[in-house]
Formats: sequence, C-alpha cells, structure tokens
Amino acid sequence: MTNESQIDCYILFPNHNEGLKLHKAMKEAGVKCMISPTPRKLSECCGISLVVAEEDLEMAEKIIEETDTKIEKIVKLVRERPAVWNKFC
Amino acid sequence: MADYRKMWEDLGMDLKTHDLLCQALPDAYTNIYLAQENRPEGMAYYDFVVSEIHGVRPAELIEHQRQGGKVFGTFCIYVPDEVVFAAKGIATGLCGGSQFWVPGGEKVLPTSTCPLIKASVGARLDRTCPFFRIADVFVGETTCDGKKKAWEILAEDVDVYVMDLPQMKRAKDVAAWAEEIKAFMKKVEEVTGNKITAESLAESIKLINNKRRALARVFEARKHSPVPISGKDALLITQIAFYDDPARCAAQANALSDELEKRIEKGIGVFPADTPRIMITGTPMAIPNWKLHHIVETSGAVVVVEEMCTGTRYFENLVDESQTELDKQIDALAERYMKINCACFTPNEGRIDDILRLAKEYKVDGIIDVNLKFCGLYSTESYKVQKAIKEAGIPFIHLETDYSEQDAEQLRTRVGAFIEMIRK
Repeated sequence: MTNESQIDCYILFPNHNEGLKLHKAMKEAGVKCMISPTPRKLSECCGISLVVAEEDLEMAEKIIEETDTKIEKIVKLVRERPAVWNKFC
Repeated sequence: MADYRKMWEDLGMDLKTHDLLCQALPDAYTNIYLAQENRPEGMAYYDFVVSEIHGVRPAELIEHQRQGGKVFGTFCIYVPDEVVFAAKGIATGLCGGSQFWVPGGEKVLPTSTCPLIKASVGARLDRTCPFFRIADVFVGETTCDGKKKAWEILAEDVDVYVMDLPQMKRAKDVAAWAEEIKAFMKKVEEVTGNKITAESLAESIKLINNKRRALARVFEARKHSPVPISGKDALLITQIAFYDDPARCAAQANALSDELEKRIEKGIGVFPADTPRIMITGTPMAIPNWKLHHIVETSGAVVVVEEMCTGTRYFENLVDESQTELDKQIDALAERYMKINCACFTPNEGRIDDILRLAKEYKVDGIIDVNLKFCGLYSTESYKVQKAIKEAGIPFIHLETDYSEQDAEQLRTRVGAFIEMIRK
C-alpha cells in the first residue's frame, strides 16, 4: 500500500532498555507506537526504534520527558512502501 | 543505538560482510511485517527480538558462557533440548534462512545442495552470524545426506557432535533413539561438566513441554475465523522459539494467546472471515525466511497452519512428565521425538495423516505443499502427499523454491492463480 504523505517519526535510543521503557509508558498512556528495527539511513548500528505518527509526536515527547527516557534523536521520515514487496533478506 | 560491533569483533566475525545483512533487515522487516494491519499488540515483543536479532540474545549467551555455561547449536527438531537444559547448558537453533549466507556455503558445497544447508554452512565459515560463532558445540543429525556431509566440513572448523537418527519407526528404532539420547547426554555432561539427574531432567522436560503448550495455544487460536493473527506473525513466533530462552518464549506466547483469545471472543481478525485459509506443508522455514507466507498473505489468502518443522511438528506431542527414573525419562523422550513425522523416515504415512487431520482442524480451503530446492526427501514424498490431498478433495499446489528473490513474481502468479481457483 503506497502512502506517500504519511510521516513516520522514528525515536532512536542509546540502548534497548530505554526503548522498551518508553514503549511500556506509551502503551500505558494509550499512545500508539510500534517497535521497529532502525532504518540504516538513520543509524549505522542495529537496534530498536519506536515509530509514532506525526500527530502523536507531541504526546510522545511529553512522555519521554515525564519518564526521563534517554533518547538519541527523533527523525521524521516520509513513509515509502511499495505496493508489492518482493525483497527478502 | 546499542553498538554491538565490539561484541561481534570479539566473536571473530567479518563485520564488513555482516553489515550487508544489517542493512537489508530493517527495510525487509518493515515492509513484510510492520506493514501488516491490525496486528496483535503482543507482537511487539517479537518486533523487539527481530530489531535486536544479533544483539540481545547473543549477549545473553555470551554472559552464560562467561559464567561457565555452555551453548549447544542445533539444526533439527529431533535433537532433545531437554538434555542440554538438564545439564545447565543452553540449546539454540542454528538453521540459516537467508540467501545472504548461501554463497558462503556454495564455496564448499555443491550448488545442488538445499539452501538451508548452504546457508547454515555459509553462516559459520563466512563468520557472519553471532549464533554460529558463539555455540561451543554444533549438534548435527542424520536426517538427510546433504547434512551428513556438511557436518564433516563444519567439523574442520568447530566441534560437531552427530546424533544418528533411525529412519524407520519400529520398536527397535525407538529403542535405538533412546540409546542415542543416552550417548548425547554423556557428551553434554562432558562438555558442561554437569551431571544430569532425574530431578534436573524432570525439570527441563517440564520447561520444554511448557514451551510446546504455549506455542500450541497460539496455533489453537488460528483455528478460528476470522483468524486473530496472520500466518506471518505465527511463523515468526515459531522461528524465534528456536533460539529464545524457553521460559520467556512460553511466557510471551501465553501473553499473546490471552490477547488472541480476547480477539476471538470479540470477533476481531486480521483478515476478513471469507479469506481463503491455507495450510503450508513441507520443508522448514528458518528465520528470516518469510518469503512464501508474505506472497500468500499479500495475494488474498491467509496461512492458518504450517505442517513443518517450523510449525506443528515442533510442538505437537508432549514428553511424559510422570517418569521419575532417568532410564524411563529417556524412553519418554525417545517416544515423543520419534512421533515427529519427517520425510527422512520410511514409510512416513504419519505425515499424511497429520496433513489430513490438520486440514480439518484448521478448516483449510487449500494446501500448498512446498519444498526447498534440492531437497530430495520432501520433493519425492510430495507424490504421496499430493495423492492423499487429492483423494481428500482439497485444492493444492506443489511449489519448489529457495531463499532468493528471483522466482518471487513467478510464485506470486502461481499462488495468485491458486487462490483465485479456491475462491471460485
């Protein structure tokens, strides 16, 4: 499904514990988020990111502050999903 | 971001080549898995495991070794994990499911070897997978000719122990497997320095049975319509079960099942109720082989059950927990493991019975019988499998594929036509 206009906000962490901590807090607060492998264009290192929709970013930033979660950065990416995906790894 | 490069370097890995896999995984996972709609929330754990696939679990295994523990890498569901855990070891699956590792295997193996064997050998010899670097002992078995010869090649590089699996299911074969389990226990005791007792074996039998029960619960949910979880997600759970901590694996699968059961009560599904329900039967799909499930589930159908090693064969049948003496526990292990129906056995009517039973239990509309290229056993057994499915009046197709992308469109065309035929 191609959705050119959708923006995904990737929250990157110094380690997975911080990512899991935020994921739990976001779930408890009812904010939608998704654990995702960090896209290579955002970091050379492997590991988790949290993806939130642009409209939920403000709430996510509030929870980051309230829970004192350590993050590396937040990057906005335009979602690029081809209609048919035939690449495997 | 967590930087695992130091850990990988210490493991003697080829970081430059390994990085190519690290580059490909996020895009593939995002488009194959995260693009699905209405996934159960409990899949977040599995998204986490994949995101940290060469980091978190390898680090746990290394910590186990730092404390004096040993890690046993296995390639087949006939190898009894219970024995390893009873000696305070850790068993981890090592099967290679990526095209990325295949060229490494082809350096020493004939091209006409199945991709699972090529990838497994390639992952070790090319030093591109942490699990293949960490395992202290590789536990092979005699389930096919390709594997038997591959063990000899791997043994030049790592400690390989081979279990001799009988290929018939007479009483004397079950007894022979019990003897093999005893011999394996001796090896495990030697490597770990820990004695296996009736108490420790009873505990590990329960541990692994609980994992089987939890996986069976996830599969039980897939019998419902609309199906509360995609086949891709269910496959991933099974794949991760091969190398996750068994107690954590059971806890996560049980938590997910709680959610799936609530979805069933509320009639929530990931596909409409009239979506054709597909069984896939055949050769295993080691992580990250998600190719066929992805093609099926983006072509208008849903996979509701896998009759394969990465499916029902992995968790069906429990080991008898009532035995309290070592010899009887070993017999109970042999009896349970010899109930697995692999094409390496002759005859193997049990597998056909399983396929027909599962087709009813999961209310399937069609069956895809698939084997990895160059797997003589499953491609030959396909004759009898197809005959039985045809007699039962269930639509089916037989496919042969590998890990590459080259045939993806051809498969998509064939699978699409098959689903269209079922719909009519």
